[in-house]
Amino acid sequence: MITDSTSFVLARDSLLAHEPAVGVSRFRRRGYQRYRHLRSYVDLSLLWKRRWFIITMIVGFSLMTVPAPYGLSHQGQIVLCMSIMATMLFISEAVPLPTVPLLIIIGEVLLLGVDPTKVAQSLMTDSVLFIMGSLMLAVAVVKQRLDKRIAWWIVRMTGTNVYWISFGITTVCGVLAAFIGEHTVAAMMLPVGVTLITLTSNDPKKVHNLAAVILFSISYGCSIAGVATPSGGARNAIMIGYWHDFFYNAADPATQRYLMDYVHWAIYTFPMFIARLPIVAALLIFTFRPETTDMSRAISRLRTQVSMQGPMRGNEWMTILIFAITITCWVAFSSSVGLGTIAIAGTAAFLVFGLVRWEDINAGVNWGVVLLYAAAISLGVQMKSTGAAEWVANGVIHGMQMIGAGSDLAFNTAIALLTVGVTNTMTAGAAVAVLGPVVLKTAVAAGEDPLRVGFLTAIASAFGYLTPAAQPAFTIIYASGYLKSSDFFKIGIRMMVLSFVVLILTATFYWPLLP
Amino acid sequence: MKNIFKRTTLSDRQEAAVRKTLSNLRAQRRNRFRILACIDGSDESFSSVRAAAQLAVGDDTDVIVLYVRPIDQGLHSGGLQVRLARQNMMEAGFELPGVKHLKRALEVLKEEGLDVSDWPLVTEHQDAWGDPAGDNKAEYRSPSGRSVVLKLKTAPDVAVGILDQYELGPYNLMILGEPSHWRGDFKAFFNAGVVQTVANMAPCSVLVARSSAERHGFFICTDGSSRSMQAVRRSAVLAHTLGEPITLFSVAEVESGRPAAEEAVSNAKALLKAMKITVAETKTAIGNAVDEIVEMGSLYKIIVVCDEGRSRWQRLFKKSIASEVTKRARVSVLDVR
Repeated sequence: MITDSTSFVLARDSLLAHEPAVGVSRFRRRGYQRYRHLRSYVDLSLLWKRRWFIITMIVGFSLMTVPAPYGLSHQGQIVLCMSIMATMLFISEAVPLPTVPLLIIIGEVLLLGVDPTKVAQSLMTDSVLFIMGSLMLAVAVVKQRLDKRIAWWIVRMTGTNVYWISFGITTVCGVLAAFIGEHTVAAMMLPVGVTLITLTSNDPKKVHNLAAVILFSISYGCSIAGVATPSGGARNAIMIGYWHDFFYNAADPATQRYLMDYVHWAIYTFPMFIARLPIVAALLIFTFRPETTDMSRAISRLRTQVSMQGPMRGNEWMTILIFAITITCWVAFSSSVGLGTIAIAGTAAFLVFGLVRWEDINAGVNWGVVLLYAAAISLGVQMKSTGAAEWVANGVIHGMQMIGAGSDLAFNTAIALLTVGVTNTMTAGAAVAVLGPVVLKTAVAAGEDPLRVGFLTAIASAFGYLTPAAQPAFTIIYASGYLKSSDFFKIGIRMMVLSFVVLILTATFYWPLLP
Repeated sequence: MKNIFKRTTLSDRQEAAVRKTLSNLRAQRRNRFRILACIDGSDESFSSVRAAAQLAVGDDTDVIVLYVRPIDQGLHSGGLQVRLARQNMMEAGFELPGVKHLKRALEVLKEEGLDVSDWPLVTEHQDAWGDPAGDNKAEYRSPSGRSVVLKLKTAPDVAVGILDQYELGPYNLMILGEPSHWRGDFKAFFNAGVVQTVANMAPCSVLVARSSAERHGFFICTDGSSRSMQAVRRSAVLAHTLGEPITLFSVAEVESGRPAAEEAVSNAKALLKAMKITVAETKTAIGNAVDEIVEMGSLYKIIVVCDEGRSRWQRLFKKSIASEVTKRARVSVLDVR
């Protein structure tokens, strides 16, 4: 019912639209506009946003000025303070993460007085080249859009039952993530997961549990396999780099075992992936009971979509061939030519055959991550050379003796618990980069095997299961909009406890059997 | 070459032309009654779209439906490869989160009689915050110049996204759905919900829409101040245009204040009479202002209160009746600024 309102113009006579920037004097501005006006002159809120950066700087430089503790050199004290500052910035994310490596580089030159050329050289090791090559390789594989075909291969094996599909997705994602990095597989398989969910129902509320099962199958498959081979994640390459830098001596044949190659790493860690596959499947089923168990409707539509794509094309076969050759080379030649060189060669092959454009690689790789791990490894080397790592290790040993953690089992448990605690506050790679020098030196001081302790740290660093931000694969599936934060905690806490138990059992009963 | 180091500026005539163009553009926009309806995908939030459709009755009104999508987690820290996943999803043809809700908003508008299916559509995309999805806009424009805009905006925080959208406006009215929680002024200073933050900081009038379909009429509250009278006048024009009956209301804390309350109501009635707007009834009450407004206003479609214009600091010490009524009312509340 509208009355005669010809005499009124709503825009003029009714509620007013105050012009944001014109015609309102400074003192008549209100609320958000006053805030915006203030920000146009000076951004005071930046101080609040960067509060953790300011606190970190104050804490770090204050600690540097106090007298060095007994047994620690001044250089060691500075490196230790830089590590604490880097850790605080990793946890708080007060500045964009790639800023942290830039600050580490500046600190090494200005505070430690290391020659700039040596700092630059320490940034590019085979491990860093490997991380960079793996990220580039991953983009090249994702761009081939094999996701629907992979999904179709999975359901051809598993049938239309959601439990078997979930197990198939976990297994296939795991096997892929063991070779090309967990975040990449999650990014590649997410569209397939969402396709299966949307083909089942368009209303997310009706298929929330089904969505949880499918999406967590992707992320947990990626997560548990991330430690299975060196190329599964940056954390593995970082630990391999630390073993090399800390313990390998070309003149001493006994240290040859610290040159970790692809196969030996997999012998230690692949069983962890196999053992946890059924655990993930069971956990998903019992934690989220899906609304429907038959996905035949979704599968038939998926089949239609795959059929519409036609048969496999030449470039898709070539992708599979290059990828298979790369993995074979990792297995056969990594000990002689290095992991990084092979990863770079694989990427070069993709570019030579025109399977991916450089622009896609340039846009798809997060170069900040490469820089981050390069600087973290460089700082770890400084921790060793200044004696800071050894000083902290002695302190840790002393503390463990005080609490009676002297046995192998207690030592393993303490190291794994420490890593799990740290990795739940920052990314896994950063956790290994920060903890690596300390735990390896602690192992030496305690008479434990640095290889075993290194594996414990690298594997336990993947146990950050509690939040969507804990792992890249989790963040990626969370971006789909189907899951709640509480879902991650609900299954994550169970997964964390069970993974911890499997790790301790593996370290106690399986690793001692290896030569 | 001799002029290479010579600094040249626009001539006075060119400068005047630019100013005139800008002024015309602003005037065009200010001649429209622009309503910004914000949704978050919950069922409650679509009552804001419903309310927008009901208020947008004339050809001089535009409706902008806004969904703010928080920036993908990990992109602000630069530490994760979420960008790759988002690009992959978009290349696979998946809709961004929010598009489905905006489509539903279009259906709600249609149910309320605002059918845009035959209107020409113009779409626009802008990069924002390094997110591959960015900001997206779909504008339906009728032959008579009326427009309905669906906007999918990316922002680090939903409240900031809505308030930033005002800067692109301006808008005459923002409509928000019923808040899930509303904190006290002290707690809100540090951590308030989206609706509360926007309602407190928005430069324009805000309608917090609740389901009040069976009720009719504008329940306009006044305390007799000039600011309040302005609010009465402007909200009464809206009610009159919509054909809704108007009830004027004033509260006195104690019995001795009743004459002042009655005078405030009769002054408001006289003001509206001079504007040829009919008032259905007038009411006064004795007691706590917030309690009485919430209690008596619950029979009407919309309670209209005048914002005191207090900042967040001032609210800490002086409180705000408008804010309290918005929090406690069971029907829609229009906070006039």
